[in-house]
Amino acid sequence: MRLVGAELIESREILPGQWLQSYHAPALATGSRAGQFVHVRTGDLSGLVLRRPFSINTADQATGTITIHFRTIGRGTEWFTHLRPGDTIDMLGPLGRPFEVDARSRHLLLVAGGLGMAGVRYLADEAIRDGRQVTLLFGAASARDVYPTSLLPDEIEYVVATDDGTMGHHGFVTELVADYEGWADQAFACGPEPMLRALARLAVGRRGRLGVAKLGRKRGAGKADAPSSPAARRKAFLQVSMEQRMGCAVGACLGCVVMTTSGTPQRVCREGPVFGSEEIDWEGGWAR
Amino acid sequence: MKAKRRVVTAGTSAPTPRRTPTVRKLKSAFVPVASRPRASGPAVAAAAPEEADARSTSVDLTVDLGRGLVLPNPILVASGTFGYGIEYGDVVDVDRLGGICCKGTTLRPRIGNPTPRVTETPGGMLNSIGLQNPGVDAVVEKYAGTWAGWRVPVIVNVAGESVGDYVEVVKRLDGVPGIAGIELNISCPNVGRGGLQFAIDADAAAGVTAAVRRATDLPLLVKLSPNVADVRPIARAIADAGADALTAVNTLSGIAVGPGRDRPLLGNIYGGLSGPAIKPVALRIVYEVCQVVRIPVVAIGGVTELADVLDFLAVGAVAVQVGTAIFADPTLPVRLVDELAATCRDRGLAGYRPLIGTALPNKAAAPSSKGVEYRP
Repeated sequence: MRLVGAELIESREILPGQWLQSYHAPALATGSRAGQFVHVRTGDLSGLVLRRPFSINTADQATGTITIHFRTIGRGTEWFTHLRPGDTIDMLGPLGRPFEVDARSRHLLLVAGGLGMAGVRYLADEAIRDGRQVTLLFGAASARDVYPTSLLPDEIEYVVATDDGTMGHHGFVTELVADYEGWADQAFACGPEPMLRALARLAVGRRGRLGVAKLGRKRGAGKADAPSSPAARRKAFLQVSMEQRMGCAVGACLGCVVMTTSGTPQRVCREGPVFGSEEIDWEGGWAR
Repeated sequence: MKAKRRVVTAGTSAPTPRRTPTVRKLKSAFVPVASRPRASGPAVAAAAPEEADARSTSVDLTVDLGRGLVLPNPILVASGTFGYGIEYGDVVDVDRLGGICCKGTTLRPRIGNPTPRVTETPGGMLNSIGLQNPGVDAVVEKYAGTWAGWRVPVIVNVAGESVGDYVEVVKRLDGVPGIAGIELNISCPNVGRGGLQFAIDADAAAGVTAAVRRATDLPLLVKLSPNVADVRPIARAIADAGADALTAVNTLSGIAVGPGRDRPLLGNIYGGLSGPAIKPVALRIVYEVCQVVRIPVVAIGGVTELADVLDFLAVGAVAVQVGTAIFADPTLPVRLVDELAATCRDRGLAGYRPLIGTALPNKAAAPSSKGVEYRP
């Protein structure tokens, strides 16, 4: 974790209301992994007192740049769109724990809903670099919100679902998963919570439907990994990147928690944002 | 009464006493006792060899909060905004801070409130964490050892549901190396029980303060709530019950509405407002409290720059806590230390004490509660 000045290189609106910005921040580009995020300070401290968390969308070590992808939803995100190339902003990062890909996984299924693309986009690059095959399922409301193919690596299979049927599959992206769950060794998802919840339910029934346990799970089955440890996550079939309103992003304020099946809230910024799907209490068990 | 020695075991050397226990004599309501010579040598700031500290050595920034709790400078970080001091890692050099107030600690572990727990508001934020914490025993076990190796005093913020809870927590903290003091959180607005009911009533506030006072010799700060009609009788009662210092103020109770406008936004409905938005309220309360108590007051509420620090000093605070602003700029508290020292040097002051209480009236100001129409 470092506090660095990041210089805006390029900023463009890639989709209506959605922006892709590239920043020169070598320390973040080299030190980060897919699934991690940066906490970025807005300019107007008198009105906006909190930083904004953004997934590291891509990182290029050669040029020392990272990109962030966001939708304008308020004054903070609006402020970022007014930045000009050359402007320097203050980033804290890289933060959070990354996706953990099992060394034996050849086929990765990535599932993104809307802006959830920003959460898994970096993982596609990492997986291709490591020689893995990637299928990316993407869900959006309509064709106009579909992430452009030109911004994705050529090597991946990109399958689109839209709620209104204007492009690709007519329906939810989760309905596409059945075609790939046998092929995939591991799945990684980011998007709206209902989507993640549906995926988690699918993942629970997967082994039963397939009739086999894949990935030689007997290996290492004897020793139990500590819950929420990287080793435990690496064995999870489905890893999800969670979103929550965030204060400090370093684990100090306890604002951004999610309830876990162990009964203790875990911090999205510190223990997350990536969790094994079975770690999360999807019913939100704050029994009071 | 014997004052506690805070044992510091930094580096490889054998433990050395941090400061000399002394009997405290308060001469004035607003001016803290001048710094005393310490057994271990010169002023705390001067004892630090690092170059970074050299910038503030020429000005005496030490502040005595009573019962042997001498802070190296008057800039603290507020409870709930700095975790247990370790979260910001290398981004903040904690040993340059005046003090750390850790996250609210209760007798038993608490899972806190449902989410969402935080949201930004104009010039501030609402939070409703609900005192999530692992319980006092886990806090002592996990963090006290680390704290004992730091030069910066760590003040444990204590919350509870009953007087018995508070006393029990404090007993378990008493005598633990690494714990420099207690900040009694009797004013958390975010939990059903355990908090606010003690801060809105002078008798209840005095009761819990006195009970804790009997249970420990640790320096005792009590954190006031702004969610009261008149804070002065409560402040006076807490001071009379044996508190060494007061912290003013906790967050203001508020709500936000959810995006669909079909329910309040926060999981707990109510949250505490903090940030620059509450600074005028905090200033008013510090101004009032400093005129009625003879113990030091630590101000908190919307500090984002040196001017805010100077404002709070001017209305009588001897130190300030930085809270919400840390989220935007974790390096702010340390920078404020340097800026305060620089300001003193620019004005030809040997210490920052002449800046304290300059805006207070010569005679007691008219009670603001005269105008009850200004109050909620």
